[in-house]
Amino acid sequence: MLDDQLSQLKSLARSRIEAAESPEALEAVRIDVLGRKGSLTQISKDMGKLSPEERASTGKLLNGAKQELEGAFETKKARFEAGALSLKLDSEWIDLTLPAPGTRPGSLHPLTQIQHEIEDVFNSMGFSILGGPEVESEYNNFDALNIPPDHPARDMQDTFWLEDGHLLRTHTSPVQIRGMKALPLPVRMIAPGRVFRNEEVDASHEHTFYQLEGMMIDRNVSIANLTYFMKTLLARIFRRDDVTVRLRPGYFPFVEPGFELDIQCMVCGGPGCAVCKQSGWVELLPCGLVHPNVLRCGGINPEEWGGFAFGLGLTRLVMMRYAIDDIRWINSGDLRFLRQF
Amino acid sequence: MKFSYRWLAELVPALTADAIEVGRQITMKTAECEGVETHAAHLDDCCVARVLEVEPIPGSPNVKTLTDTGRYGVRTVVCGAPNCRPGLLTAYWPLGKKTIAGIESDGMLCAGDELGVNRHHDLIVEFEAVEPGQPLPGLVPDAVIEIDNKSLTHRPDLWGHVGMAREVAAHFGIALHYPADLSVLPQGPPLVHVSIENLDLCPRFSAVMFENVKVGPSPLWLQYRLQAAGINPINNIVDITTWVMAELPQPLHAFDADRVVGQRLIARAAKDGETMTALNGETYQLDPSMIVVAGTDQVLGIAGIMGGQASMIHDGSTRIIFEAANWHPASVRRTSVKLKLRTDASMRFEKALDPENTIRGLARAIQLMRLCCPGAKLVGGLADIYRPLIAPDPIDLPLDWLAAKLGTTIDAETAAGILLSLGFGVAVHPGRLVVTVPSWRATKDVSVKEDLVEEVGRMIGYGSIAPQPPLMAVTPAQPNLLRKFQNSTRRTLVDLGFDEVHNYSFVSDAEAHRFGFPLERHLRVRNPISEDQALLRVSLIPKLHLNIEENRKHLETFRLFEIGQEIHPRSGELPDEIPHLAAAVFARDDGAAGLAELKRAASALMPGVEFQQASDPRVFEHPARIANVSWQDRRIGRLFEFHPSFVEQGRAAALDIDLRLLQETAAAVEKRYSPVGRFPSSSFDLAVVVPPRTSAGDVARELPGAEFREDFHLPDGRRSLLFRVTLSAPSRTLTGDEIANARKAAIDRLRSKGYDLRD
Repeated sequence: MLDDQLSQLKSLARSRIEAAESPEALEAVRIDVLGRKGSLTQISKDMGKLSPEERASTGKLLNGAKQELEGAFETKKARFEAGALSLKLDSEWIDLTLPAPGTRPGSLHPLTQIQHEIEDVFNSMGFSILGGPEVESEYNNFDALNIPPDHPARDMQDTFWLEDGHLLRTHTSPVQIRGMKALPLPVRMIAPGRVFRNEEVDASHEHTFYQLEGMMIDRNVSIANLTYFMKTLLARIFRRDDVTVRLRPGYFPFVEPGFELDIQCMVCGGPGCAVCKQSGWVELLPCGLVHPNVLRCGGINPEEWGGFAFGLGLTRLVMMRYAIDDIRWINSGDLRFLRQF
Repeated sequence: MKFSYRWLAELVPALTADAIEVGRQITMKTAECEGVETHAAHLDDCCVARVLEVEPIPGSPNVKTLTDTGRYGVRTVVCGAPNCRPGLLTAYWPLGKKTIAGIESDGMLCAGDELGVNRHHDLIVEFEAVEPGQPLPGLVPDAVIEIDNKSLTHRPDLWGHVGMAREVAAHFGIALHYPADLSVLPQGPPLVHVSIENLDLCPRFSAVMFENVKVGPSPLWLQYRLQAAGINPINNIVDITTWVMAELPQPLHAFDADRVVGQRLIARAAKDGETMTALNGETYQLDPSMIVVAGTDQVLGIAGIMGGQASMIHDGSTRIIFEAANWHPASVRRTSVKLKLRTDASMRFEKALDPENTIRGLARAIQLMRLCCPGAKLVGGLADIYRPLIAPDPIDLPLDWLAAKLGTTIDAETAAGILLSLGFGVAVHPGRLVVTVPSWRATKDVSVKEDLVEEVGRMIGYGSIAPQPPLMAVTPAQPNLLRKFQNSTRRTLVDLGFDEVHNYSFVSDAEAHRFGFPLERHLRVRNPISEDQALLRVSLIPKLHLNIEENRKHLETFRLFEIGQEIHPRSGELPDEIPHLAAAVFARDDGAAGLAELKRAASALMPGVEFQQASDPRVFEHPARIANVSWQDRRIGRLFEFHPSFVEQGRAAALDIDLRLLQETAAAVEKRYSPVGRFPSSSFDLAVVVPPRTSAGDVARELPGAEFREDFHLPDGRRSLLFRVTLSAPSRTLTGDEIANARKAAIDRLRSKGYDLRD
């Protein structure tokens, strides 16, 4: 008797669950069936009238029916929730192709970037990084570098002289003198920085540009070592496994012997093109073995120690790397240019 | 410096390499060759021609000629030169047919400029004793090898063809033919009298005299050779002096002997007030720092730079003096700079020429006189006064040291061979060479063994030295904290959206004035490029402002910064250069957001940075928007908005930080862990009511550790600043009483400072 009632109730409840069209309607059905006053609850209250044997079997059925209906309610409810969630999420559509609001990322000046790269290369080989003042003494800029007063080599660098008798350094080489005095031997140093030449500005000339000085002093330093360092440096800068360079004589009073280092033109690879003026080579950096007079001015005994020095034109390197055809962009402060880096 | 390939080839008779190859070898082993250009290539096509008939052309200054060109047959050629006459042997250039004055002219008869011989255009050239069709005597195509002067700064010997020829001979392992023959120098007492006042300033002074001189044009071959070397021919006497300068290289000067009183020449310092009108027509004021060549009555030449008009050679000169001197290089250079007069001679003398060259130069001039002025007669002996020449000490060159410097092995024979080919004297000893420096390399060029590394290295070819990593002690690089700190500062600003700029170190007087930086606190450039770049900046702000003004023309909003040096003069020492960070935000708004952004940037650089409202506006600052920036109780910079009159169509905020102070402060900050409380904290809020112009920062200073929450504007115009104070204890939970006491203490402190509190 109760069993019949139970099976009727169960199939009715199932069809009502099936038919419920909203979470609210489903909840009403649940209360009707499984609530404290619900029909299934009512049946369980009637169980008291049954014999123990009947109670056992009906109880089992009742529990089964309860579990089944609860499962059906949960399934239906989850379906409603999933539907609601997907509706909600769908309404949250965003156009991800719109540009991001807020501040755009900033940029490091290309000179800073290349300077950091070179600093890393040399730092990894134990070279200290030195600075130096923009205003220098005539002694450090010239005399100590084996360029005495009235030496014609002073013409090679048009100098800005200051009213206090000092000058704007014409190269980063005075840091050689500062470095030799400041660092313990053996010396390995580089010094990037701003230098000045009294020249009219045009597309290829600037009165303010950047160089990077390098110097190594040890007991046994040869031209072969210098070439090695220059090749390593240039391969890193130009991101090649190897670069072809050549040394030829060059005159700089603070080195002896002095060289111009040319790199094989990376545009044409040697046969000659407009960039290398048909020569196949591009003049890149002056270098040489440190002149004994310069070592003495740095307080170093040239009979015991020797070394090489080089000067790299950072501004020129930036122009080569990014194919910049007008040097005036570098100090222009024009963000339309600077934001490209 | 221009070198004629033919000239070099004459001095190196066995030379077979062409000009391009010679230029390449020079670049790789001697000095920088900037280019090789053919000179007068058309001379191969030109030939001697005889004018057969000349017929006037009515209404034209030109004439029609029938000309026998030999190899090109008889041709009709129109010519405009007044010396065109039947029987004349001249130069013909078959450069095609062209109608001139109605007549078809087949080729042309050439004047000197058309042949590349000189600059004469009016008269066609004239030859003797040659036949039509023959090549033009002494005129064959040449090549000009152009060498970068800077790469010759240390090589006085290379300022002449002989020096370069000696190099070329060494490059190819062949012999040099030295052109000057000392045996032609006259013996006996001189008829020209020379004297030297100071042998330091004039180590040598030599002269010879000629009579029966006839001044006229030099032979065409000589003019042509000078022209190829970039020198304009003048007349036979002047051409001889320039030839010797371009060849040996010894500058000579020719005086008209009849205009030199008593044929006496004195090398002495100029006297105050002396003047001289030079060959260029300019009159120069001289002073005792300058050396001159003087007669007994007046100054005749500025030593080593330029001669004077008073004694110059003229067409009627018949007696001449060739003077060859050696001058103190620095003195010539100083005088040349002072008078703003640089000449081919001064450029050579300032490089320190070989004193032994004076008599070589005179010998060469005598040889050339025989060719260019055959009737002239050398009179009297050689006048030659000099400081005794001291031979430089030989240089000891250990071979193992040489090899260590080169980074490659080298045997004694190779090294000695190279040095010998360059004119050095070499004695070979076991394991070392003893090297004597030739006179032309001994003046400021080669003096120590390092110089010989270059001589050997360049001649074996640096390309033959294989790159080799050095063996070195592993020692760490010295840290550079300032640089590291600047780099991380840059990174931080870039992360916050700022673009890095580089500005010039120069400002103009007007800029300094406009920004209220006193002119006298700037270091001034003595020789500025222009007046607007005459001062060194004492602040990064003027150029930062310029960046804003330039970029706002193209951009709606932007952030930028520079790290650069302020340069503050100090008496008696180098100026104080202080690295600064200057950053700016520009936007077309009310400016508040930019200031906020810069405050955030400052906080990123200096955790816990404080700002004190300031009331001392500088002329470029917005008077109500300025604050001093301090960190760890050190004043370290300034935050401000530019005065709106300084910025058009927008607002610009700026931050200026002393990076040296900042780095020092940062280095002193030691971070220490403080335990995180495990017991609950309690907090209470305090609303401080203040007049509108009160700084929240001042209030916050009375509430250490309190967190600012909000800034309400009250209807009565005052502001209510809401702070939250959070308290906790490390080992227990605070009691209600303790919190209440703390609150009361905070309120009392605020009240005692005159602040109102809202309940």
